[in-house]
Amino acid sequence: MSIMEYNGGSVVAMVGKGCVAIASDKRLGQQFMTVSTNFQKIFPASEKTYIGLPGLATDVLTLSERFRFNINMYKMEEERDIEPKTVAHMISSTLYQRRFGPYFVEPVVAGLSKDNTPFICAMDLIGCINFAKDFVVSGTASQNLYGMCESLWEPDLEPEDLFETISQALLNAQDRDALSGWGAVVHIITPDKVITRSLKSRQD
Amino acid sequence: MNHFPSQWGKPRQENVDEYNTVPLYNNMPQSHAAAGPMTRTQQPVVTGTSVIALKYKDGIMMAADNLASYGSLARFRDIERLHPVGEHTIIGASGDISDYQYIQHMLQNVMIDQHCEDDGHTLGTPHIYEYLFRVMYNRRSKFNPLWNALVVGGVHKGERFLGYVDLKGTTYQNSTIATGFGGHLAQPILRKAVEGREDTLTEEEAIKIIDDCMRVLFYRDARSINKLQRAKITAEGFEITEPYSVETEWSFAESIRGYGA
Amino acid sequence: MNFLDSPLSKPAPYVVAPIEHRFDPYEDNGGTSVAIAGEDFCVVASDTRQSNGYMINSRYAPKAYKMSSTAVLSCNGFHADGVTLKKVLEQRMKMYKYSHDKDMSVTALAQMLSNTLYQRRFFPYYAFCLLGGVDADGKGAVYCYDSVGSFERENYRTSGSASALIQPFLDNQVGRKNQQNASTAPLTLEAVLRITKDAFTSATERDIHTGDNLQIFVITRDGVEEQNFPLKKD
Repeated sequence: MSIMEYNGGSVVAMVGKGCVAIASDKRLGQQFMTVSTNFQKIFPASEKTYIGLPGLATDVLTLSERFRFNINMYKMEEERDIEPKTVAHMISSTLYQRRFGPYFVEPVVAGLSKDNTPFICAMDLIGCINFAKDFVVSGTASQNLYGMCESLWEPDLEPEDLFETISQALLNAQDRDALSGWGAVVHIITPDKVITRSLKSRQD
Repeated sequence: MNHFPSQWGKPRQENVDEYNTVPLYNNMPQSHAAAGPMTRTQQPVVTGTSVIALKYKDGIMMAADNLASYGSLARFRDIERLHPVGEHTIIGASGDISDYQYIQHMLQNVMIDQHCEDDGHTLGTPHIYEYLFRVMYNRRSKFNPLWNALVVGGVHKGERFLGYVDLKGTTYQNSTIATGFGGHLAQPILRKAVEGREDTLTEEEAIKIIDDCMRVLFYRDARSINKLQRAKITAEGFEITEPYSVETEWSFAESIRGYGA
Repeated sequence: MNFLDSPLSKPAPYVVAPIEHRFDPYEDNGGTSVAIAGEDFCVVASDTRQSNGYMINSRYAPKAYKMSSTAVLSCNGFHADGVTLKKVLEQRMKMYKYSHDKDMSVTALAQMLSNTLYQRRFFPYYAFCLLGGVDADGKGAVYCYDSVGSFERENYRTSGSASALIQPFLDNQVGRKNQQNASTAPLTLEAVLRITKDAFTSATERDIHTGDNLQIFVITRDGVEEQNFPLKKD
């Protein structure tokens, strides 16, 4: 039994033209038994930055609260919104502090920086960051997502096209993964607004 | 010479066993049990290291050193690991030497049987390769492998042939092949020098590439010696050199103190 | 000297247990295959890289075999088992020909492959097969197998080291899954070839065991045609 696969779940993020997208499935399971079909894995870090936390659900809850605390403290001390890059390094160092007894999550960060440059990255469970220019994937359907993203993604997608691309990538990937699925949620982050959509999908 | 392997390496204990009754082989009934347990090669004992080979303009060139190691001991220093079969094929062997000698024996039998057929056919390189593949695969399927990685090179009906067979029956053909440690050290050099130039490389160039690889292997493979043989197989037949050495350069070692820099 | 006092009678204070080695008869030689059935054709594609761990054995070691004028077999997993399985099938196909005086149909070959795999249920061929061809009605057929012979006829399937990457893509592009109002018209050969090549170029980017060359077989009732397509060699 792998702890990383105990609860299941997947997250993917993509870069578009002046926008980014992050999406996840909604399943929470205990091994192959589905427990919830509306489990949040993506958390807002600021107006234009989101954190995806697939992995062990207990750590997802713990870390989402810790990150919320850290980000609020940052906001109060600095009197400004946190940058996605800063979020990434905050998460990375939080994870590395537990180098030899890690939190079992592989986070994804997606956002727009203050000059609206797209930023995405993914990490392993001990905080090694992968800064990607195209897309990042994480979770139990990561292999499937790699295959989908590698073939569907193209540079400079407009927000609506990016939405279609990331949705198709996630839906088809999670349909081939027993531990992910039961609906999906997609956030498209653009300079002036964040579009959040819930996707209906196969319920099996 | 004591001919009972179960006694080898054990001290005699005349103080306890005055009449040498232990082990019990001479008390046991003459049954299968008396022959001792069935033995299989579960690990190689006396071993040969890398074999390297490449395709060049006129045929195949292959090389291997003359060492048979017993663990880390350089046990036999005049073992020939390039073995001709028929007129146009050479087998290079790494791994267990006794298994290799058994393979030589089998091939000799096959060649004699074929000769006795007297039907005008002789086994060419691809046939010998296929034969070895089946032997190696069937032995692995009986969980009794012949612990070798073999390189088969030759020229058959004007076509160059270079193939690899190992103890599990894995086979492939390629324009460069290196077994064992050579897979790490020599193969990158061989591929860079040979890939895409198989039809233009001259014999001189091929010799230089092979010798360069063998030199690198001698420098870094602790189970190698600087005494090697090189074989070439062309449409005319094969030629295996006498054992020779490659030039080495150790003056840099003078300036090395300790482990580093 | 009394035996009990001799150093030989007492075991050494530390006992070095011998390290047990068990010969592992299997190897994973990587590689990926795709098979897609069309209305009146079938495409079977395999990359030609053969690897062992991080080492590339050969950049051109085909693992898809033409079995008859209407069937192509691809075997991923342990290459030696794949070759042996192919040989066994060829022998049994010859026996069939001699006793029935006709070539085997893909349907019959599919069942025979399953039986052949199951015969080795307790020492399996480590080969994950795809069988593609056109059946007696001239329709494209794809059969996919596990290593012990359970099989299923399908319209499209991928197996091998990059199967997790390619299968959802085929669901989407061939099965048109998750697409609303998508056309249900059968795919043309051109479309199938395009999808196959796209699938492999994408898989080659992320799977180290897939690459070098793509061997594509197009099977129609007129026979089998082979094409080659270069993939990245890194």
